[in-house]
Amino acid sequence: MKCIYLLFLTLFFVPLHAQQVVVISGICKDASNGETLLGANVELVSTIYGTTSNDYGFYSLSIPAQDSGTIRCSYLGYDAQEYRLPLMANQKLQIRLNPGSSSLQEVVVTANSNQERMLSTKMSVERITVQQAKLIPALFGEVDIIKTIQLKPGINSGTEGSSGLFVRGGNLDQNLIILDEAVVYNANHLFGFFSTFNADAIKDVQVFKGGFPAEYGGRLSSVIDVQLKDGNNQKFAGSGGLGLIASRLTLEGPIQKDKSSFIISGRRTYVDLFTRAINKSNKDNPESTPIPNYNFYDLNAKLNFQLGEKDRLFFSGYLGQDVFKFEDNAFDFDFNWGNTTATARWNHIFSNKLFSNTTATFSDYQYTIANRVTGFSFKLDSKIRDYRLKTDFDYALNPKHSLNMGLEMTYHEFTVGRIKAGTDNGDISFSAGQLLDGIEYAAYVADEWTATEKLKISTGLRLSAFSNEGQFYARPEPRIAARYLLDERWSLKASYAKMNQYIHLVSNSGISLPTDIWYPSTKNVKPESSDQFALGVNYLLGKGFLLNHEVYYKHYSNLIDFVDHAQLFANDDLEQEFSFGKGYAYGTEFSIEKNEGKLTGWIGYTLAWVKRGEFSFMDGRYFSPRYDRRHNLTVVAMYQWNKRISTSATFIFGNGDKGWLPAGRFAFQDVPGGQFQPVVPVYGDRNTFQMPDYHRLDLGIVIKFFPKWGESDLTISVYNAYSRRNAFFIYLAPEYASGNENPVLEVPERIAAKQVTLFPILPSLTYNFKF
Amino acid sequence: MNLYKTSLFALFVIGLSACNLNREVDIDLPNYESQPVVECYLTPGSTYKLTLTKSNSYFDPFGNGDLLQYLDAIQIKNARVEIRHGLDTIVLANTPTLDPVTLKAYNYVSDQMVPFDFEGSFELYIQLEDGREITGLTNILAAIPIDSVVVSFNETDTLARTLCYITDPDLSTRQYFRRFLNYDSLDSIPEQDFITDDQLIESGQFVFGSGYENRVQDTVFNTIATIDKAYFSFITSVMNSAASNGNPFAQPGVIKSNVFGSAKPLGIFTGYAQSQIMTIIAK
Repeated sequence: MKCIYLLFLTLFFVPLHAQQVVVISGICKDASNGETLLGANVELVSTIYGTTSNDYGFYSLSIPAQDSGTIRCSYLGYDAQEYRLPLMANQKLQIRLNPGSSSLQEVVVTANSNQERMLSTKMSVERITVQQAKLIPALFGEVDIIKTIQLKPGINSGTEGSSGLFVRGGNLDQNLIILDEAVVYNANHLFGFFSTFNADAIKDVQVFKGGFPAEYGGRLSSVIDVQLKDGNNQKFAGSGGLGLIASRLTLEGPIQKDKSSFIISGRRTYVDLFTRAINKSNKDNPESTPIPNYNFYDLNAKLNFQLGEKDRLFFSGYLGQDVFKFEDNAFDFDFNWGNTTATARWNHIFSNKLFSNTTATFSDYQYTIANRVTGFSFKLDSKIRDYRLKTDFDYALNPKHSLNMGLEMTYHEFTVGRIKAGTDNGDISFSAGQLLDGIEYAAYVADEWTATEKLKISTGLRLSAFSNEGQFYARPEPRIAARYLLDERWSLKASYAKMNQYIHLVSNSGISLPTDIWYPSTKNVKPESSDQFALGVNYLLGKGFLLNHEVYYKHYSNLIDFVDHAQLFANDDLEQEFSFGKGYAYGTEFSIEKNEGKLTGWIGYTLAWVKRGEFSFMDGRYFSPRYDRRHNLTVVAMYQWNKRISTSATFIFGNGDKGWLPAGRFAFQDVPGGQFQPVVPVYGDRNTFQMPDYHRLDLGIVIKFFPKWGESDLTISVYNAYSRRNAFFIYLAPEYASGNENPVLEVPERIAAKQVTLFPILPSLTYNFKF
Repeated sequence: MNLYKTSLFALFVIGLSACNLNREVDIDLPNYESQPVVECYLTPGSTYKLTLTKSNSYFDPFGNGDLLQYLDAIQIKNARVEIRHGLDTIVLANTPTLDPVTLKAYNYVSDQMVPFDFEGSFELYIQLEDGREITGLTNILAAIPIDSVVVSFNETDTLARTLCYITDPDLSTRQYFRRFLNYDSLDSIPEQDFITDDQLIESGQFVFGSGYENRVQDTVFNTIATIDKAYFSFITSVMNSAASNGNPFAQPGVIKSNVFGSAKPLGIFTGYAQSQIMTIIAK
């Protein structure tokens, strides 16, 4: 570890040579709608000097002064622009790229070209576009960015249909999911079958699996950075769709052309409309039992204002809720959960070298369960709420060094399992719950250094800290990444990143549930931390193919798990249910991608191992977590036949999840009054059983229409095309001669292992439009 | 219009139901070595009795399905079973017995009564035929009396429910309870069977209620047992283990026994004192 720090210090404080340079700076935008372009490549042609636009479209390219040169800006899916300029003085160059004239512009599977990816020091990163997600077949036809991420190497999906992410052996809570820089704590609807992100409102998604830039922290395993669209500042436009279970509508347009714009986007499910109608019609029927009503909705909105050449303001927000309601004469049950986020952001260009972004965000996730029977009421709620202030600076120091730095502070409020219950007359009352808080701090500085024509090194240091009830933790987090070009086609990469996590998800189900609660680091609950090393190679095969191969090793400390039979609800002393241990994960990821031409897609393969151990249970021995899958293969192929028709296919293969099934059983008499149980399972070591292998083929076809008012399409998806009966879970069912499932004083004849499959073949149809 | 909406919903429900596919599969479970299983509940005023059986691998055959034959097959015979209390050593004889009232089976019994001693400890010592040993230690906690059982009728119906009140004598010490609600007789399947503690109580008074499901002349047994931490942990682990099978959201766990020794046993050795009120529903 000391070597890493020394290396970091050596690289970071390398002398910066003064040179006579000029700076070309500006904003990269889409000429058709004014959306800023993130990660656009800006370079001085035929030299090593180049840069990419930052997350707000700003770029600053420092180059040696010269009589003239050609600045080229490219972005996949757009026509590249070249500008022949005198380069003797600093200048501003606002770049407007036109969407590619080729009909293939929709088939852009990554925002970055293969060339850019090969040249970048970034590794273990994926950039995903909405176009890509829209072409890939989706469960119930609901386009889902998170499920597209699951198809990337190194990322496991959790249970069938779930939008949970398990990245390089990490847990569900080790993913930092941010929407316009505000943290989204539970990015799921309907127990994880759908994510909270409405694809129509999204501009860009970046996923970091390792080699984390210093600006990110707070989670151990991944960063999923989702950016909302800014809104079309050229003309009023709309888009939407009608699906099997939900509909959506997005409207956007200029408030003042070129200077300000808005976007508002909504999505809602329908099922409750039918259930309400049925309940209403059965209202007077005493034999009828009401059907529970359920729906979820998402609402995104954003405003942005260009205040002169140097300032830009953004305001965005998200509101999403799942609503479950059941009521009859004597019994009311309400279960609501959801996220709210708000972001206010100010971009300021201090000079052609210095750009700043200052952000204030608000995040809230809460759930409430309210139950009322005659004379008695019960309410359970939990919440996490963040107030975050953050400022970042990008500084193009000279042609070889580009710095970024920043500060952030987050105030967390936790309401942990607050229960209030009792009789209406107040005779009886129960209560539980904890109110906790904590402040998370971070400061970082990073440098991207073009050391030689072949060697590029990114170094960074993040100092993170957390305070809670007099307990203060402060941890340095060094980050380093390097790229070495072997020749025009080969590049070698290496990275190291340390991460700390100060807030933790209290859940032992292994899948995301709305009742999951978050808990801060305290005196007894130390911050979790990870160290990740990765080595990689990129090879540009030509004809749009990029080969990527990475190996990684990741070590975890202070991991949190739960003792057997942990009581996670209604427990004022939750910490006694925690157990602390270590873990490691290693593996190799291989992918070959093609992102240009009529046929696009990728093949990804992951070979991985994950272990956890040194917990108080299982005598400290190491064991496999649930999602320790040895082999994972994904094949994604999209083919554009012509302007109107494109087809796609996705094939997934993975070893089965680990399961914890009983090894033995005993007969239990119980006390008088208790029920005799002939079969009580005896569970041994955790997760020694492996579920059957998982595989699935999805097919899709998009047929486009071009009416006078705009564009529309019919998207037909077939999920699980050959109706593979994949195991959602396996249980052991005693079978009795009487045929009863729960007989009295009867012994089973036998025990059968039963496999439950969630989704057989599922066709779906979605109609989409835009104008 | 209603028919149209109902049909649409029916189609939707049928579609979702079709997703729930279930089939039998062949699987291999981890190897398992049989363990002795002890159940002994010391109830003041009742005789000493204990059940000593052996566990099986999960897929082991059950025999022909006859309960008594099965119990005979799994019982451990010829063990020396002693319970020591103060200066007394009570030897439990290997005599299979079925309680005709509670329908509980025991294979080690004594004629001696468990004393109403809520201070002294009780020690269990078992030596199996092959020499392996099992030990245990417990106390008996005094039962908290039931304050009252109140019958209330639904305003809009003829059905009634019972509300069973108890008062926690000491909120500063964590107390654990097991609650049963039986209808008609004590050997019926309990309508309610759960464990709780007084961690959440604010007012010092508990109420355990039933649903509106009793008619006039129905017999209702409300039972509250005061249990210790070891039994609370054991019965929690038994209930959770049973409930985890088939629940993808649940986390199983090991059985938390309070018996130990070279025989590597499972089970519980505990005092068990309860308060019980029988109520016949009347207007």
